[in-house]
Amino acid sequence: MKPLLRRTLTALATLGRGTGTAFLAYLGLAGTLLLAGLCLISVGLPLLPYGLRLQRGLANLERRRLRRLGYEVPEPYAPLPHGWGPSMRTAFTDPATRRDLAWLAAHGIGGLALGLIVFSLVSNSIRDITMPLWWYLIPPDAGLTTMWDAPVDSWDIAAVTALTGPVWLLLVFALAPAIARGQTYAGRRLLGPVDGMDLTARVAQLTRTRAAVLDAHTAELRRIERALHDGAQNRLVGVAVLTGAARRALTRDPATADAILERAQTGAEEALAELRAVVRSILPPVLEQRGLHGALSALAAGCAVPCTFEADIPGRLPTSVEATAYFAVAEALTNVSKHSRATTASVEVTRTGDRLTVTVRDDGKGGADGDGGSGLNGLKGRVEAHDGTLLVDSPRGGPTMVRVELPCGS
Amino acid sequence: MRIVIAEDDALLREGLTLLLSAEGFDVAGAAGDPETFLALVDEKKPDLAVVDVRMPPTHTDEGIRAAVAARRAHPGLAVLVLSAYVEQSFATDLLADGADKIGYLLKERVGRVEAFLAALRRVADGGTAIDPEVIAQLFATRRAGDPLERLSAREREVLTLMAEGLGNTAIAEKLFVTPNAVHKHIRAIFAKLELPPDERVDRRVAAVLRHLEGTRR
Repeated sequence: MKPLLRRTLTALATLGRGTGTAFLAYLGLAGTLLLAGLCLISVGLPLLPYGLRLQRGLANLERRRLRRLGYEVPEPYAPLPHGWGPSMRTAFTDPATRRDLAWLAAHGIGGLALGLIVFSLVSNSIRDITMPLWWYLIPPDAGLTTMWDAPVDSWDIAAVTALTGPVWLLLVFALAPAIARGQTYAGRRLLGPVDGMDLTARVAQLTRTRAAVLDAHTAELRRIERALHDGAQNRLVGVAVLTGAARRALTRDPATADAILERAQTGAEEALAELRAVVRSILPPVLEQRGLHGALSALAAGCAVPCTFEADIPGRLPTSVEATAYFAVAEALTNVSKHSRATTASVEVTRTGDRLTVTVRDDGKGGADGDGGSGLNGLKGRVEAHDGTLLVDSPRGGPTMVRVELPCGS
Repeated sequence: MRIVIAEDDALLREGLTLLLSAEGFDVAGAAGDPETFLALVDEKKPDLAVVDVRMPPTHTDEGIRAAVAARRAHPGLAVLVLSAYVEQSFATDLLADGADKIGYLLKERVGRVEAFLAALRRVADGGTAIDPEVIAQLFATRRAGDPLERLSAREREVLTLMAEGLGNTAIAEKLFVTPNAVHKHIRAIFAKLELPPDERVDRRVAAVLRHLEGTRR
């Protein structure tokens, strides 16, 4: 019952503010129409900039209200040049002006109507519930009516009215949140930037990150190829050469042959170690075995600087996201151990909705650079390839914070 | 025979030095990067250089470029290039200035010590040693209308051995045929590839490889 009450009261408060802006929009609409009329006889022309400022002021009021409700409605206006002529021309060709006007009409009429309906419903149902009291206090010939304009002329009708009142109140409880949301609809649709513009920016961003994906992918393949060719393969060639040498020495000088074979064996072991390292760098097996939580806590535990670990990651995430988060923490902790001279560090992982946030902090000397350091730079490419963001906050003198945010498409 | 080695992997450098010294070669020095290698060649005036293709700083074709530079600075220097994998263009770059005293082998061939030493001596004596893989790759990537299509299976075998740098007698022994038969095959190969016949091993290897590379562009 309590949450329902709170929900309704919140909705009514929202509706109250919304109806306020709607009333102002209604006045603004009337003012705009008046101004348009005055412009026809050219008296209004000098007043146009004030009209525009008033209209934008009202729209911004509503934008602020919407933002406080958690909707994103950035100001879409094109910047106005100086001078009456140029600024009016810009204002009139700006699609935002037209959309503001449309909002003025929609919110000033529709939004106001919605608000008035709800509040009259509230006040009328309260009056109906308290009808017996009114019947008792007010002279019968004062013309009391119910919500439906039926005359209240007896105790019976007053009592029945009191019983129907809660029904209307329940209706308010049920509908207020939806109506409050409906009242924001015009603002959400009309006061933000045109959808197409948003999409253009999004496409540009996706194109960029897609190129980054391909780059990161190619760079990764190149790295693996290098690691295999110059690492493990070279070791194995060395083993083959040493084995060949040992075979040649076998009859001539068995002692030397044994020494060479010893070297060859070491080479083979090194090749195995390199292969393990390459495999780990592609996709750490620990992720598969222990999940992101286990893998990250192992990383934190293995850090040279005492490191606390806190994580709230219910369930498994896509493999690529887990791997990126893992490498981000690995890279950040490597930097902590190598460069920061920190005495403590912390790793914090949270998941809110479809975003995974990984934060690594240390109390070291700071000065880490998200653009210069090749490790962090590589990480940035990897993170952006996943449509995520990397934030490095590391003033000289510390402390340092590295935060990676990844969409995890839940 | 005095040898200088250029190889950036320490284990392999050590292995090569050990192997060649044990076989009685005079290993005058071993370098891990192109600059040191070229300085070593200037200083020690070796008869032969063993060079790895991938070396610092970019680990791409530094070895090939170092080998070509060393040959330009010291005409008559025999060069045996070792590579982790076969790359047709590397062979062509090497052979651009003639095929005598040039070798291009896969690294792992070194483990087959006898064959490796034979190739090494052949190159030092003025011959050629091209890895069979190079020829195999040529066959693998041939296109329709490629002159290689016209060769019979036996002729391909002969071409591969020829590219490795073997002479007619050695090829005949390997294939269990008479030297005369090999001679006939080689004449057929040159005719099919429309090349002037040449009896000198290095010349004909170069001619064949350059021709094949050319028809592929």
